Amino acid sequence: MAEPALVIDQVRKSFSGHVAVRNLSLQVPRGSVYGLLGPNGAGKTTTIRMILDIIVPDSGTINIFGESSIRGRAGNRIGYLPEERGLYKKMQVRRVLKFLAELKGVRGRDADKRIESWLTRLSLTGGEKDWGNARVEELSRGMQQKVQFIGALIHEPELVILDEPFSGLDPMNAQALKDTVVDLRREGRTVIFSTHLMENAERLCDAVCIIANGDKVLDGTVAAVKLGHGGHYIAVALGDDRSSAVTDIFADRSLVKRLDDSNRTVEIELAPNANAQLLLRKLIDAGATVERFELVQPSLHRIFLDTVGATGVEPGMSGHG
Amino acid sequence: MAKLWAIIKREYLERVRSKWYLLSTALAPVFFSIIIIVPIVIASRTKASPDLSHVVILDATGTQLGTRVAGELAGGISAEATRAEVRAVAPSELAAAESVATHEVMRLQDPMLGYLVLDSATLAGKTERYAGRNASSLIDVKEIEGAVRRSLLAQRLEHEGLQPAKIKDLTNVNLEMQSERLTDRGREVGGLANALFSYLIAFLLYMMLMIYGQQILRGVMEEKTSLVAEVVISSVSTDTLLAGKVIGVGAASLTQIVVWALSTVLVYRGRGIILARFGVANVPIPIPHIGLGIALLLLTFFVLGFTFYAALFAAMGSTVTNEQDVQQASMPVMLMLIASIVFIQPILLNPTSTFSRVMSWLPFSAPILMPLRMTIVQIPWTELAGTLGGLIAGCIVATWVAARIYRVGMLMYGKRPTFREMGRWVRRAA
Repeated sequence: MAEPALVIDQVRKSFSGHVAVRNLSLQVPRGSVYGLLGPNGAGKTTTIRMILDIIVPDSGTINIFGESSIRGRAGNRIGYLPEERGLYKKMQVRRVLKFLAELKGVRGRDADKRIESWLTRLSLTGGEKDWGNARVEELSRGMQQKVQFIGALIHEPELVILDEPFSGLDPMNAQALKDTVVDLRREGRTVIFSTHLMENAERLCDAVCIIANGDKVLDGTVAAVKLGHGGHYIAVALGDDRSSAVTDIFADRSLVKRLDDSNRTVEIELAPNANAQLLLRKLIDAGATVERFELVQPSLHRIFLDTVGATGVEPGMSGHG
Repeated sequence: MAKLWAIIKREYLERVRSKWYLLSTALAPVFFSIIIIVPIVIASRTKASPDLSHVVILDATGTQLGTRVAGELAGGISAEATRAEVRAVAPSELAAAESVATHEVMRLQDPMLGYLVLDSATLAGKTERYAGRNASSLIDVKEIEGAVRRSLLAQRLEHEGLQPAKIKDLTNVNLEMQSERLTDRGREVGGLANALFSYLIAFLLYMMLMIYGQQILRGVMEEKTSLVAEVVISSVSTDTLLAGKVIGVGAASLTQIVVWALSTVLVYRGRGIILARFGVANVPIPIPHIGLGIALLLLTFFVLGFTFYAALFAAMGSTVTNEQDVQQASMPVMLMLIASIVFIQPILLNPTSTFSRVMSWLPFSAPILMPLRMTIVQIPWTELAGTLGGLIAGCIVATWVAARIYRVGMLMYGKRPTFREMGRWVRRAA
């Protein structure tokens, strides 16, 4: 495999007695979509800030494209989307983007051309209104996030770092951003994004790292993480006529170790040595209408809950993961 | 360098495009022209001396003094219609007459302006009293005082047997002080006009430092709270961001000053044409000579002063995250500015005292007070060079300290740091 895009080695950072990140090590392969997962206050944003050299780690090293600091040539190869906002509210959208482009060394006509193409691509212009000439503060939250997104991508960075990119977006805007992430991956770029929403990570990521309390809980490719988690999982969907007999079956600890009931679908972890066929037969015997019965891998959501648990969130922490 | 340029450009253009900037840049010259033109027009349309014929004279001297004063107030011409009314009263009835006069003055529909009391103390050459609506008008009071003095003098001389015509001849002394300022270029006009001009320059510098300093502080706070700072700092260093900000905003304010200066010079030079439109003849306006050298020196003081204060305002801006803290955070820097402006008057009155000299040397007050002194008195070039050197050193220290506070402050959230904490940032930052 080629040299990783990012290598973090034994990085530690504390703020006035509180340890935000504790000896974190991870590797992000080139051309992958990498998810930094963790509850609020886990140390995700602190890690991202250290990667960007906004804050300096107390100890440990961070290596990007083989360089120890983004202040050098690596700087223009990185794009960054902060957790929220991050634009001059009073400035016109086109001018903000031009400014951000210039900070990354993209100038003049070239910058203008790229800005136009992005504005069209994310449908901020060409509709009934050209939002490019509006002030940032006139835009909705979703549109602002799109502008911020363009700002992070305008210089065609090889490594894109997105801090909670999907928080607070409506499905349409979220989909537009997801499509863009997929496009970036297809173009061979590396994307790192932090999130506490497991569904997004499940669908987008090649590899993940779960952090809680500043500690790495686990990391690896999504496939390896799921395989390594062990256990047999079954997704079951039943009709509306759920009888007490069914409830009894679900409560049978010799069959079902644990279940995650999301009403329409129930995710079941089988008890060790239990048999999926036996469970299916029992459900049918109990008169349940089985609409779906599928052997599945554990969801990242499940893995996250198992590994981080309820203790993963330290009380009184800020929203800056 | 390209990134620094991008930041300078943004700061400059965004500021210059703002409505406030465009309005103040365009309207200030109009304001300056009004200051230059209007007084001349008004002066040409009003009488030279105030009309004091509506003053009542209560004469308790038992002499002709009241009548004489009335004559003096009317300019020595005995046209009965425009003369002030004289009421001869006995000393014992003076109090009653005064209260009547007071009521008359207070009834606004009467044209009566006020009343003058002449009594035995006046005859003795000690006091006279005046009460009226125009009592706070310096010119009116001076005029009345002069009239009484001349009348009393004339009366005494007549008593000694001199002819009235002779007296008029002898007492006709109308001295007017014409002060000139001496410099190495020779004689210059108007000491008073010069002081006023210097005052205006000092005040303008103060206003610019204050207004733009506050703008920088707010700009920094906005960048910090909107997280723009994070995006920018991930591309450039905090030092570059700070430098770009100070240079960009400084350039915007300098543009404004130059536009103002040029338009004022234009109005001053072309005042003849403008005055002709009002049908008023051109008059020379006494302003001190400001050569190119002095103008450049003034600009240098402004640029250095701006750097000094802008850096500190930016540092303070980086320590706040909400509007309520702005006042407190800017206070220490504001105090330095205010400490400079409150000494304008003492220095104007005594520009060569030790206190004045020391104040104009200190880096924080030099940008305002040295230009002030410089335009009133001539400063030896060694002193100017020393002050400039000190100011440059002050700028270096201020930006050094500011850059360190800014570097940490920009990424600190939560409660506002104390000065002790800021001190630690300054010492620790590598």
